[in-house]
Amino acid sequence: MFALRGIAVSLTFFVLVYCLLSALVALAWRSLKLLHTTERRLTDLFFALRVLPLAASIVVTLVFVVPSFQLLEPRSMNVEEGIGAMPLALGLCALLLIACGCWRVIAAQAQTSRVVAGWLEGAHRLQVDAAAWTQSHTVTFRSRREAPPLTLVGLRKPAVLVSESTIALLTPDELRVALKHELAHVRSRDNLKKLIFRLCPFPGMAKLEDAWSQAAELAADDASVSSLNDAVDLAAALVKLSRLIPVESAPVCTVGFVTGSISARVARLLAWNEDEAGRARQTRMRPWHAIPPVLVVLLCVTAAYGPVLALTHEMTEWLVR
Amino acid sequence: MRLMMTKAFSIFGSSSRPRLGPLEQRLLQALWARGSATVRELLADDNIHQAYTTVMTTVDRLYKKGLLSRVEEGRAFRYTPRHTPEELQRVTALESIRQLLGSGDASALPLSYLVEALSAHDAQLLDALQLLVERKRQELHSRQAKILESAARQKTPPERR
Repeated sequence: MFALRGIAVSLTFFVLVYCLLSALVALAWRSLKLLHTTERRLTDLFFALRVLPLAASIVVTLVFVVPSFQLLEPRSMNVEEGIGAMPLALGLCALLLIACGCWRVIAAQAQTSRVVAGWLEGAHRLQVDAAAWTQSHTVTFRSRREAPPLTLVGLRKPAVLVSESTIALLTPDELRVALKHELAHVRSRDNLKKLIFRLCPFPGMAKLEDAWSQAAELAADDASVSSLNDAVDLAAALVKLSRLIPVESAPVCTVGFVTGSISARVARLLAWNEDEAGRARQTRMRPWHAIPPVLVVLLCVTAAYGPVLALTHEMTEWLVR
Repeated sequence: MRLMMTKAFSIFGSSSRPRLGPLEQRLLQALWARGSATVRELLADDNIHQAYTTVMTTVDRLYKKGLLSRVEEGRAFRYTPRHTPEELQRVTALESIRQLLGSGDASALPLSYLVEALSAHDAQLLDALQLLVERKRQELHSRQAKILESAARQKTPPERR
């Protein structure tokens, strides 16, 4: 019973923190749009904000709730204490939430695999100069005419699918820069991020995901363009491929080239400026930039760990009663 | 604006919101331009050459259709449009789409027309974008040609007479 009570209390904390943070994120994410920063950084911030509720609730549960229950909850030998109605109900809600998240991930992955297998029927390796621009671990396929014009698929072994119509329609320069755009998505692991979004369901997050998607497209545009010629070629490719109406809708875990607001992307590309692009590259966020804030948080947590555990346990007691 | 209004009200004329006649459209337009007006003020407008009673009857009809609000001013009324042109267009479009979707047994048929109209709109937008891209490309080519030309001129030594 002690273990069951511990699990119920931990799940209760998990679901409470998750819902509270998700509601806050759903209300407050629009303020990020006011930031004057690069699209790459904005994409990272949108992603961080979207997964913050899940990450924070897991950390709070594992770092504070479980140890506080283990260390501070008295194990009474004589009197058997019940789980309590509220932890039981909220614990079930947490289990439902976790099951829903897992189901969404599995369903999205299964649907993507099924659809991509159809697109790959009769496909073969791309044998054009533009393929040389792709990284060695990314395979570029020439797929059927009805497949989406240009799509990135796969998580572990990403592949770029280029339809026959796309090859017929684009010039070699346009195809090269369009492939570079898709490779920018590979480097950012955008397919994986889309799958992670499925893991954390909460109503009202669709607009944040749309904003992330639009920012990710703009960031990939920025990463693929290194001159005004490239920018014009990419804009031309975008307009040409927008005219191809896809027969099937793209599944979740794929990134299509023709996504987001086409007019906004074209206007932005035609106004491409070398100085601004250079500044954007200089201000790019690197993974090691996160080390100082993480260290500060770790120090604070270590210094105040005892009192925080005691406080968490008090809250646990309040919940059980 | 007149064209917009004519389009908004004439395409789906048999709706619950009745079709606006030419004088009604002109009066509504004059009221949008002025903000609010009495019949006498509307008659001062150069575009409206009608008798006082005709204009009075017409604005009263617009009031009864819910397009104008009015307040007493002396012995006359001051009329104010209840909607901006954009609001009116939006309401009319929504009403028209609602009627279109609700009409007939084959509900998929009007939807297909709607998709066709939207696709035509998209094609126009893409044509405009393509034009922009082509212009930029031409501008870029002419700029590069000029740079090459000036570089070639600098390399060539001046001719001696």
